[in-house]
Amino acid sequence: MRVAQARRFVISDHPLPWLLPLVAILLVFTVYPLIYNIWLSFHEFVPRRRALEFVGTENWVQLWNDTRFWQSLVITFTYFAIALVFELVLGMAIALLLDSDGFGFGFLRGVLTMTLVIPPAIVGMMYLLMEDPQFGVISYLLQSIGLLNSNNPILATASTALAGVLVAEIWQWTPFMVLIFLAGLRALPPEPYEAAMIDGASPFQIFRRITLPMMSKVIAIAVLVRGIDLFRVFDYVFVMTSGGPGASTYSLSLYAWQQTFSFVKWGYGATLSLVTLVIILVIANLFIRIAKVRW
Amino acid sequence: MNGSFSARMLRTIAAWVVVAIFFFPISYWTSVAFKHGNDIFNRPPKLFAFTPTFDNFQKVFGISLGSGGITVTPGGGNFYMAPRVWDSIVIATLSTVLAVAIATLAAYALSRMNFRGRHSFVGWVLSTRMMPPVAVAVPMFFIYKNFGLIDTYTGMVLIHALMNLPLAVLLMKSFFDDIPSEIDESAIVDGASRFMIFRRIVLPMAKGGIAATAVLCFIFSWTEFLFALTLTTTSLKTVPVVSSTFVTSIGTAWGNMAALGAASIIPAFIFILLVQKHLVRGLTMGSLKQ
Repeated sequence: MRVAQARRFVISDHPLPWLLPLVAILLVFTVYPLIYNIWLSFHEFVPRRRALEFVGTENWVQLWNDTRFWQSLVITFTYFAIALVFELVLGMAIALLLDSDGFGFGFLRGVLTMTLVIPPAIVGMMYLLMEDPQFGVISYLLQSIGLLNSNNPILATASTALAGVLVAEIWQWTPFMVLIFLAGLRALPPEPYEAAMIDGASPFQIFRRITLPMMSKVIAIAVLVRGIDLFRVFDYVFVMTSGGPGASTYSLSLYAWQQTFSFVKWGYGATLSLVTLVIILVIANLFIRIAKVRW
Repeated sequence: MNGSFSARMLRTIAAWVVVAIFFFPISYWTSVAFKHGNDIFNRPPKLFAFTPTFDNFQKVFGISLGSGGITVTPGGGNFYMAPRVWDSIVIATLSTVLAVAIATLAAYALSRMNFRGRHSFVGWVLSTRMMPPVAVAVPMFFIYKNFGLIDTYTGMVLIHALMNLPLAVLLMKSFFDDIPSEIDESAIVDGASRFMIFRRIVLPMAKGGIAATAVLCFIFSWTEFLFALTLTTTSLKTVPVVSSTFVTSIGTAWGNMAALGAASIIPAFIFILLVQKHLVRGLTMGSLKQ
């Protein structure tokens, strides 16, 4: 080959040309919106004048006194915590169950994966149908075993609406945990298990003392990846409840979106979305430090 | 793990039962998709005992299955999904191509070249994935409005590509890391340029990884909701966005909704078969090797 000629393209030995397209698109689509968002949070749209006006720190002060904001923060944390616990525990249990080469287990793993690629907005709609008080199959089952009063529609009752949304969430994403945990379980070395068997350890002891510690890195990654998504939940609450009844299912993302697009509070919506971003970044980075997650 | 025969039997049964419970909603929606209006509202809900119909699919996708031609009435025109499916396909395909191209270039540099701040650069890329979509979508709406990008393929392709970039970069980096760098070094000794090594040696070796990354990007674009909801209005819409409009003041088109839901499982199933091997690595953004 024309060696000398090829050697002349030394510019490609520098990382910059390789990274330039990535840096450009990230700058335009994350840094610029971020700065714009910060700018927007010190302004507010005035419908009377049809223009943005500088309002100083008014939006930030309003945030502090906004009970609906604090409520949506609590709801987001509740949603996050309940979903994460269920998805972790169920995911680990099902992964342990499926970690076998028995008849049809490969097929079963495949079927379980199907939930992951259906758009969450469509999943939310389908659960809306299943939880319909009159002809929903979930409502019917719960009513027939006496767990649900037919006068209490799941998604239109403040005390059960969040649970109704969480069912869709947990249904769709538990298989995600199963897949990650299965991959982790498959990669574990067999020696500690053999030693534990010889020592006569019980299955629970083996799980607690061997499986859990060796899986800690995998669990940490699962918590991080899923946790970030859980904290910005939007799709399910948007299509299933729109935040209601009352404000019992308002998530931070939904609240920020509604302030901007339904109530035309552009500045305040930007403030709320910034706060959501800051909370996620702080928690995620703390978690990465503490759990020593490596990418 | 080995156990007694009965223990294995029990485990197999338990596994089938658990997966059946998870599969139940899908089978239920599929049954609704084939139901006539009154069968949907039956109480107790019927899983099998009804006369199947293709009406819902016909109305949603505007396709004829058996009787007559396309039957899209003005009133029911809202639920005619074919143009939206096309929108979704165009956006998902183009944004995937863009994201994978940019990510592959960047991932090669991050995998092979040592430079100052490489670690914090990866951290920065990762942090963009932590951004809640709403924190981008709200300002993006105004920026897009100023630049006339609302309701355009360009706008949606760019934002979906952005959304998938962190995933694609980290995933491609982990695939490149698996290819021994000695190959590159010996090629450099032979006088090949970096770009030649990338194009002729590394890229062909990472083909499987690129395919997996592409399919995952496609799926995430296909299922994305908030950006599509915010940055499109009337002339351009994606499937998830339209599905959320099936609830109207005169009632919900459950049969059509279910037909759409059932149909959305078919591409899902094909994609799973394609990327099953790489799925976990992709979902954890490359941090977990299978």
